[in-house]
Amino acid sequence: MPPRTALIASMALACAAPAAAQQDDAAALELADKAATEKEAAKQHRVYVEGAGLRGWLRGGPTTDVARASLDLRYDTTFAPGWRAVLSDRLDLIHSDDAPRERNVNALREAYVSWQARPDVILDLGRVNIRHGAAWGYNPTDFFRDGALRSIVSPDPARLRENRLGTVVVQGQKLWERSSLSAAYSPKLEDRPSDATTSLDLGSTNAHHRWLIAGSHRFGERLNPQFLLHGGKGKTTQAGLNVSTLIGDATVAFAELAAGKGPTLIAEALGRIDTERWRRRAAFGLTYTTAFNLSLTAEADFNSAAPDRAQWDALRTASLADSLRYLQAAQDLQDLPVRRAAFLYATWRDALLRRLDVSGFVRWDAVTHSRSQWLEARYHWDRVDLALQWQKYSGDADSVFGIVPQHRAVEVSVRVYF
Amino acid sequence: MNRRLFLATALLPALRAQAAESPQAILAASDAVRNPARPFSVTVTLIEYRQGRQTDSNTLAVYSKADPASGQYRSLIRFVAPQRDANKLMLKSGNDLWFFDPASQASIRLSPQQRLLGQAANGDVLTVNLARDYKAQLLGTEETVDGEKARRQCDKLQLAAAAPDVTYHHIEMWIEEGSARPVKGRFFAESGRLLKTAYYRKFATQLGRERPTEVVIIDGLDPQWVTVMRYSDYAWRDVPDAWLQRDYLPRFKPE
Repeated sequence: MPPRTALIASMALACAAPAAAQQDDAAALELADKAATEKEAAKQHRVYVEGAGLRGWLRGGPTTDVARASLDLRYDTTFAPGWRAVLSDRLDLIHSDDAPRERNVNALREAYVSWQARPDVILDLGRVNIRHGAAWGYNPTDFFRDGALRSIVSPDPARLRENRLGTVVVQGQKLWERSSLSAAYSPKLEDRPSDATTSLDLGSTNAHHRWLIAGSHRFGERLNPQFLLHGGKGKTTQAGLNVSTLIGDATVAFAELAAGKGPTLIAEALGRIDTERWRRRAAFGLTYTTAFNLSLTAEADFNSAAPDRAQWDALRTASLADSLRYLQAAQDLQDLPVRRAAFLYATWRDALLRRLDVSGFVRWDAVTHSRSQWLEARYHWDRVDLALQWQKYSGDADSVFGIVPQHRAVEVSVRVYF
Repeated sequence: MNRRLFLATALLPALRAQAAESPQAILAASDAVRNPARPFSVTVTLIEYRQGRQTDSNTLAVYSKADPASGQYRSLIRFVAPQRDANKLMLKSGNDLWFFDPASQASIRLSPQQRLLGQAANGDVLTVNLARDYKAQLLGTEETVDGEKARRQCDKLQLAAAAPDVTYHHIEMWIEEGSARPVKGRFFAESGRLLKTAYYRKFATQLGRERPTEVVIIDGLDPQWVTVMRYSDYAWRDVPDAWLQRDYLPRFKPE
């Protein structure tokens, strides 16, 4: 290109770029001029209905089909200055082609009144979902988690935290500029759990007198640890710590620890007499988020109350039924069934496609080398979600997740918000 | 041109700036237009467009106050709409970022890169206190077209990050002479890539002075990705310091 032509071309390009940018800006501003002016008002409720069809594969070949219809509501209102009432309930109507054919479960998750006596003093009375924990896959400091799962519709830890029963408590919280201290007392209200459809199931959440003290202090922008003490009738006091911090602008590191005397998980699950010893439970991990909004969590989990390889082998060899009862109890207690595990969790919003969210996890048991896996793709319109989830347990016949009878399941669900 | 006259003309912007306000003072005055001096609440509606079509919208209730130590804004944000996100909360205090879902009672620390709820991260173009985090330099004065097609005589500032953990490496800011209104901002990454362009517009009297009630954000890579942020229901609102911590999130309920 002759020098003169090249000069003219480069000048033309230099002029064209700002001109194009100005055109783009003008088009964007014109679009904004046409934007709707109405704004949505805050609602006190969130209600959705969900319909789902599930096929499960049992080991050995047979399948089982399950249909589910659910109604999920949460109502949160301020009925007088400083007074707040919360109601959270879920009804699952479940029909299976296997026994039991009908299983309908209503879970009154929360029903409480809260009084903010002063901006820094709050009192609660009623059934409250009190939850603590910094980790994603295993929360040893979530002391009110045992017995809280009345109906499981997804193994996703985020959903398990959502679909659970709160504990009936009297709770108070005091706030300072950088600190908070709360104390909760949970009385014994019933002796045993109930499967009755409309039961409050207080026997699952309030079968013993229990208490919990939680305090936190904000040392700075990056450090806000939480300390917990938990105890109750027939339960040795447990101590807990939650801490998380930021590493760079894309990584969060977290640690969660609980320690105290107690029985082994096998003894607790099977009702055996056992010596109380120091037990330590912990979860450590990192969550990294990419520039395209994919969040990856890697977590190491540890539970000294759970069996090591020799203890698991002894249980498994002695009785498959006891091994399954143990796994069921570990699930009810939401405790880690093996001494050591790794947990990988990924969630990707707008995964390749706008409005498509993909989430999944792999929990790898480092003791018997088995895996629990789950994957969900969820596409959402304004008021409707369409979701496909897949779950699989894999491992040798003598491994922890390898003995779960229903080793594979696929579910399609549609959710409509009102 | 006479050599003396040329020098005088060339030096005029610098002399005028020196006689008037320093670039940092101009920036601080512009911050004061965007950010009320006392704790306040506001409703923010975000409407997102892709390729000329509306693809998403969110409504947020925001309670905000400046931290006397850092000067930066600390905010409690409640999601009003859409329904699937209703009543979820965020606490933002610099890079101390927490997300709370009332359904699961889970308080999760987020990294600045993590966007759990749509375009809410764009909120920083309004309530950030730029004079605290950036060093301003006056590039000159120029007439520019604002977000409502009016021509405005502006000071053009170049802002360089003064702290390591700020969101943008540098910013170009057009601030109207006299009124200190922010007119336009261009926000850049360290690589020099344009991240977003923001137009501040629809000025109206809110909480005692003229403030922008709409910001139009244009993505730097894809100019057809446009977010309109509308600000309404401004009110002075006491926000006790004790509320701006993780353990208050389960309690926060805007009036």
